Amino acid sequence: MCNPVRSLAVWAALLGVTVVLGLVGESQRVLTIAIQTFMLAALASSWNILGGFAGQISLGHAAFFGLGAIVTRELWLGGMPFVLSVVAALVVVIVAAGVVGVPLLRFRDIYFAVGTLAMGVAVSLTIGNVRPGVSSLPVGALREYTFAGPYFLALGVLVVTVVVSLWLRHSKLGLGMMAVRDDEQAAGAIGVSALGHKMVAFVMSGALAGLAGASFAYFSVSYYPNFPFHVVWTFEAILAVFIGGVGTIAGPVIGAAFFVVGRDTLPSGIGEFQVVMFGVLFIVVVLRLPGGIVEGAERLLDRSGLVRRGAGLSGQESAGATDEKGV
Amino acid sequence: MSRLILQSAVSGLLVGGMYGLVALGLALAFGVLKVLNVAHGELLMLGGYAAFFAFTTWGLDPFVSLPLVFAALFALGVVLYQVLFRFVTRFDVETRIKNSLLLSFGLVLILQALAVRFFTADERTISTSYSSMGFTVGLVRIPLVRLAGLIVAVIAAVALEWLLRKSRFGHAVRATAEDWTRAALTGIDVGRVYLVAFAISAGLAAMAGSLIALGYSVSPSIGLGWTLKALIVVVLAGLGSMRGLVLAGLFLGLIESLAAVWVGGPYREVVALVVFILVLSLRPQGFFGRAHV
Amino acid sequence: MLAVEALEVAYGDLQVVWGASFEVPERSIVAILGSNGAGKTTTLLALMGLLPSIGGSVTFKGESLIGVPTHVMVERGLVMIPEERPTFATMTVADNLAVGAHARRARALRDQSLREVLEIFPVLAERLGQPAGTLSGGERQMLGLAKALMARPDLLVLDEPSLGLAPIVVESIFDVIRSIRDRGVSVLMVEQHVEMTLDIADHAYVLELGRIVADGTSAELASDTRVRDAYLSP
Repeated sequence: MCNPVRSLAVWAALLGVTVVLGLVGESQRVLTIAIQTFMLAALASSWNILGGFAGQISLGHAAFFGLGAIVTRELWLGGMPFVLSVVAALVVVIVAAGVVGVPLLRFRDIYFAVGTLAMGVAVSLTIGNVRPGVSSLPVGALREYTFAGPYFLALGVLVVTVVVSLWLRHSKLGLGMMAVRDDEQAAGAIGVSALGHKMVAFVMSGALAGLAGASFAYFSVSYYPNFPFHVVWTFEAILAVFIGGVGTIAGPVIGAAFFVVGRDTLPSGIGEFQVVMFGVLFIVVVLRLPGGIVEGAERLLDRSGLVRRGAGLSGQESAGATDEKGV
Repeated sequence: MSRLILQSAVSGLLVGGMYGLVALGLALAFGVLKVLNVAHGELLMLGGYAAFFAFTTWGLDPFVSLPLVFAALFALGVVLYQVLFRFVTRFDVETRIKNSLLLSFGLVLILQALAVRFFTADERTISTSYSSMGFTVGLVRIPLVRLAGLIVAVIAAVALEWLLRKSRFGHAVRATAEDWTRAALTGIDVGRVYLVAFAISAGLAAMAGSLIALGYSVSPSIGLGWTLKALIVVVLAGLGSMRGLVLAGLFLGLIESLAAVWVGGPYREVVALVVFILVLSLRPQGFFGRAHV
Repeated sequence: MLAVEALEVAYGDLQVVWGASFEVPERSIVAILGSNGAGKTTTLLALMGLLPSIGGSVTFKGESLIGVPTHVMVERGLVMIPEERPTFATMTVADNLAVGAHARRARALRDQSLREVLEIFPVLAERLGQPAGTLSGGERQMLGLAKALMARPDLLVLDEPSLGLAPIVVESIFDVIRSIRDRGVSVLMVEQHVEMTLDIADHAYVLELGRIVADGTSAELASDTRVRDAYLSP
């Protein structure tokens, strides 16, 4: 089933490449794309913990991304040392996730999805009302701005998220989450607390999203404070997860890379139609290839005989496939 | 102070009528097809734009163009069903809901992006000769166009109820909504019921959009906000129940408005969220729903 | 009227019915007997197109039913009453009967069908305005039958009509089934109650673990020692 040594080797190699790029890379465009990929990949991976492992579809994920961003930004621009701001943001996000999770996680499936959507939109609109003005880095910081800091922060957050995901995948906690995903009642029958596992998944997922938000706050020069709360971030995260392969570890990262790079390399004349294309691709994935790129790649490798069955890119089968039952 | 409260209450009721109308279409699609279309608000938005352009290009009064707008989005609903949602109906209920949720989420951004591209991001409002007219009852001012919207909402709800209770098609719809297997065994073409029900739901969204363009405003990004309110109304009334949607809508609008006076305007969106959580926690079957769904 | 040959049905990878062949002639009651899990309901669902069959042929009035949508089968005169939920519980008795005549072939004769059906089941006439869910088990089964008759079927398929009903009620239901046959509608019924069923059936098949293991007239089967030992009480 799992080939941890092989997976770790691949991840380590990837990490090495990205670190080198961060140290020697000169092109602003490449660095920007990389940072955006890291952020989306971290956001997507964090969503995957709740949606892919624990099976709870949250449509309000951006709320935690935005919360992490706004707390970090306001404290940092207000004079607090950056690291402290991030820590404070993390604490705030964890508490918020805990508070919001208590009522919301009691709801099953569609009610949960709608509840999180409501939360996301409510928070997004409220922040827009309460903080309408642009948030910009002060002139001094602007002059000293380099890509190095944001690059390695974003990369660091992604590494943390991936490591957490890897650990979860092989841990008892993670298995409990997946048991809840597959059959909540059955899980309860064998002593796995559904609410408890969902809660942990929700808080972990939110916390990591908050960290990704902190990296957004560090990277972005000037933006409207409600932007990181916008539902488009949730959508892009879910898009990346599904296109890459929901429930896998590599999936969200691959999907994020695919999306960010794809969006950047498409000719600019297409404009909004990019969104249309990705939307269509997403729909195709949901209907036809629930395992995303990871599943597609595994099938191809399977057929070519290069790789033994089951030892795919992430070392595991993709989860989250849809059931066709009955009529 | 009491004038503010009364005016807020009235405004809340008026917008609540719109919430109810939007909820009507959403509940129809969900109740019959067991499909959750979060892009319902985008269909509303497109209907609003259709009415707007019918007005600015051909001078058609929005009440006159209502049936046209309905027909236009009905047609779009047919297309969306055939191309997209039809495939979701293969699955069992749980998977249907999850997949349609994801699918329509994708549709939300596609339609929004297209709208920005073709209509620009500007807010539009239909300004007719009577747009600023209203009448004053005591301390309270009632805008004519919004009141008309509420009236249309009530008429639509009554008409839909009549259709479902009395017509042959309505019987087929109710049978399919309860048990599609049994419905097929009764000789009902379930696929066709799904198609028409979904298209009607799109048409209803369009009607709401038209009235909203007249009484409030439309822009490419309004969709999700309205969908959300509609979802909350559907849950308040009780998933699977068509009756009492307008009432639940009025309730939500009223509570929202009054609470906004209390907590302050910028936080009014949070009120709806809190109402949602409270009702679901205390009375999961909604006001009018059955204990089981 | 109905001829099924070598029907094979599977749930995904698991095959449940193997090479089942049976037929229902005009004006007769044919029974498929078997205990729980024998595959009776599966066979019927495959017959009605609600489950895909992976082999065999089904011919109704000379035309093949493979690939035909369920509601079209009803249009052709083949109507099935499922085992659970024979009615629409949230709709009134009157609405249930009305929707029973949904098919085009039955629409024009709706009023006449209604009169006939209320003659057969007078108890329903008293409950027209009630939601079907408030009826007793036996009344619901009757409503299910009445609703099916509203579709003016040529062949009625019943899945365990006696399930969960008191013996007296079962007797009256079976009487009705007999009179349905006498009016010219063939009946295919699937049952666990072997004795009572053999009483009214003209011909019967025995289904065991997905295969037909015996078939013959009721008299033949009643005297068949295997059947007696396995299914008939001492």
